[in-house]
Amino acid sequence: MSLSYGIGGAASTLAVVGAYMLFTGDGEAFNVGQFLEDVSPYAWADMGIGLCIGLSVVGAAWYNFHPPPHSPPKVIKLTKSRGILITGSSIIGGGVRAPRIRTKNLISIIFCEVVAIYGVIMSIVFSSKLNLVEGEALYSGNNYYTGYALFWAGLTVGMCNLICGISVGINGSGAALADAADPSLFVKILVIEIFSSVLGLFGLIIGLLVSSKAADFSD
Amino acid sequence: MSGAGNREAVFPTRQSLGLMKAKLKGAQTGHDLLKRKSEALTKRFREITRRIDEAKRKMGRVMQIAAFSLAEVTYAVGGDIGYQVQESAKSARFRIRTKQENVSGVLLPAFESYNTDGNNDFGLTGLGKGGQQVQRCRETYARAVETLVELASLQTAFVILDEVIKVVNRRDINSELDELDREEFFRLKKVQNKKQRDTAAQDAEMKLKREAAEKADEAEVKVESDKKNASGGGESADILGEQEDADVIF
Amino acid sequence: MEGLFFNVNNGYIEGIVRGYRNGLLTSQNYNNLIQCETIDDLKLQLGPAYGDFLASLPPNPSTSTLAAKTTDKLISEFRYVRANAVGALAKFMDYLTYGYMIDNVALLITGTLHERDTRELLERCHPLGWFETMPVLCVATNIEELYNSVLIETPLAPYFKGSLSHQDLDELNIEIVRNTLYKNYLEDFHNFVNTDPAMSGTPTAEVMTEILEFEADRRAINITLNSFGTDLSKADRKKLYPAFGRLYPEGSYMLSRADDIEGVRLAVEGVNDYKTYFDAAGMGQSSSGAGNMSGGTGGEGKSLEDMFYQKEMEISKGAFTRQFTFAIVYAWVKLREQEIRNITWIAECIAQNQKERIGNYISVF
Repeated sequence: MSLSYGIGGAASTLAVVGAYMLFTGDGEAFNVGQFLEDVSPYAWADMGIGLCIGLSVVGAAWYNFHPPPHSPPKVIKLTKSRGILITGSSIIGGGVRAPRIRTKNLISIIFCEVVAIYGVIMSIVFSSKLNLVEGEALYSGNNYYTGYALFWAGLTVGMCNLICGISVGINGSGAALADAADPSLFVKILVIEIFSSVLGLFGLIIGLLVSSKAADFSD
Repeated sequence: MSGAGNREAVFPTRQSLGLMKAKLKGAQTGHDLLKRKSEALTKRFREITRRIDEAKRKMGRVMQIAAFSLAEVTYAVGGDIGYQVQESAKSARFRIRTKQENVSGVLLPAFESYNTDGNNDFGLTGLGKGGQQVQRCRETYARAVETLVELASLQTAFVILDEVIKVVNRRDINSELDELDREEFFRLKKVQNKKQRDTAAQDAEMKLKREAAEKADEAEVKVESDKKNASGGGESADILGEQEDADVIF
Repeated sequence: MEGLFFNVNNGYIEGIVRGYRNGLLTSQNYNNLIQCETIDDLKLQLGPAYGDFLASLPPNPSTSTLAAKTTDKLISEFRYVRANAVGALAKFMDYLTYGYMIDNVALLITGTLHERDTRELLERCHPLGWFETMPVLCVATNIEELYNSVLIETPLAPYFKGSLSHQDLDELNIEIVRNTLYKNYLEDFHNFVNTDPAMSGTPTAEVMTEILEFEADRRAINITLNSFGTDLSKADRKKLYPAFGRLYPEGSYMLSRADDIEGVRLAVEGVNDYKTYFDAAGMGQSSSGAGNMSGGTGGEGKSLEDMFYQKEMEISKGAFTRQFTFAIVYAWVKLREQEIRNITWIAECIAQNQKERIGNYISVF
């Protein structure tokens, strides 16, 4: 619902700008190839790094949890421990009637946290490829490749981690509630949770592979 | 009859022998009558006791079922319908009328219950859910109230009969003592009878006189005759009352 | 998709409500309860589940006070959840209370018609259906004033508007007023869960539609069965059927024309569940009449109403298999109500020494 507004807004802005350029005689300026060549490879690389860590963290945190207005004292301790995502609020709610679930279900939180750590690791790996290159030397084929590679590797990792974070969150939320109802279910759901947690790892591997082909920025 | 110790002091004459025989006969007749009455009442009494016992047992069962059917309504409706039923009832559906039954001269009230047709004040209660239970509960309670009415009528009869039997029995036992009182009373009555006869004779005399005087002077005699009428009337009423009492005793 | 955003606002509530649901009595608990010899034993057995709420009860309490105390627990939990609910869930929970509000308003209307002391009436109102402006209704002295204040002060105004006038309150049987309101309420609730942006297309809409359709059908069938032998005309009866549900429209139409139980059975033939219930309740033979409900003198078999309750409980239980849905709040309230009914029933059976029918409660866990 809320997504459709953003997409619609972006699409119409693009359409307006494109049409403006077309009708004011600047149609040839709408040149994708030239745009790609003009953009600095640094912009691509940094955007890749930013997306990598940013999307991963969004995936891990998804939404900050607001502590409930009338929560009893024992809940507040939990909110402090980690206000992470979908899982967090379920653990808190479930924990009111079944306090034993709080420690066990931190595993779900940790799974989410791992996703953010993937993002951090990849961002560090990516950023190690950044070197200062001055002038026209930047626009070499090698550097273009590095820029694009980092961008898409970052996007891949970021998106994978985002989806992974959400799926782990939903799973973890289910795990917390199921654990509260029946402790024997916890391990079973945890297995499923591990599967969704592996999704992030896949992204991490592909990201590593894509970026490992790219050399550092050089003159 | 009585023990040797408190034998009645009788002066041995023929007259008192006859008197005593008459007294004895009267006492025996009275005793027999009372005994018959008492037996009839006791029979009735036992029957009522038995029926009360039955009715009370039935009451226990019926009330239990009724209370339980209310529990069912509470279960089915999921709430209290008491207030609603109370408010939507406009006129009584279950009514009673009284009638009287005569057992050996004792009037026993009896209650009879009947339903007025077409009165269905809270027929729609529990329309959404539990309606059947409400109706069933109503029927059960109607049965319970019916039993209650039956029991009430039996209980009333029981109390009244109990009282009457006690009185009858006491008279049966105490009749001898009463006999002496009655003897005294009878004597007094004889005296009164004598007086009454005298007064009647006087009255007749006065009447003749008055009739004669009326022809002579109406207005003059009126005051006097009024006076005499008043006094004579009062006396005769008294005597009549006493005579009636004596009738019951003998 | 609902998994992405549901927990932002409602995850805590969901956890809490699921916690409450886990606190419901299980069949094991019920087995212990029916072994009790006295109410005190029962109280003791209920201790873990109800704790504080029963602590203040005197020894050997009456069944009604027991029921009142157990209801108190539901009320306090409901209020806690309601206080924490925001957005669509808050509205959803308000809708949930409207059903009780209808009962309360019906009570107040009855009281005002008979000019009773309204303070006493307020005490009798169901606490779940309490709304802030309710005491205002008690100020009304005649039925027209009451009607106007109901329209202004209560959220029930839309249910009155268009279907009931103030003369109707005076003339119609209060049960008809109540059922008309309830019909409008169910339709509105059904519409709400299916059109509200936060709910349409989510498990909430799915589960709630099932629950509400069942409720609508149950009411339609019950109204039909209960109207036999009363002066409710067929046309009036038809107006009380909600315009949705699995029986709607053909089944409802046939219900509206039914003259006896056989007619009702034919009407519900199209829906397999209800048909099974009718057959199981032995109402298909139309021999023993509408009074064929399990009762003190009745048979041992389950009555139609029992089976409806059973079905409602199963749907409610099923609602908990879905995550990220408001329906669990509704289901929880219904399950708890049934639990209170069960406890009251068992207590009644113990108090009245009617042990042979003590097993008539409905337990789904």
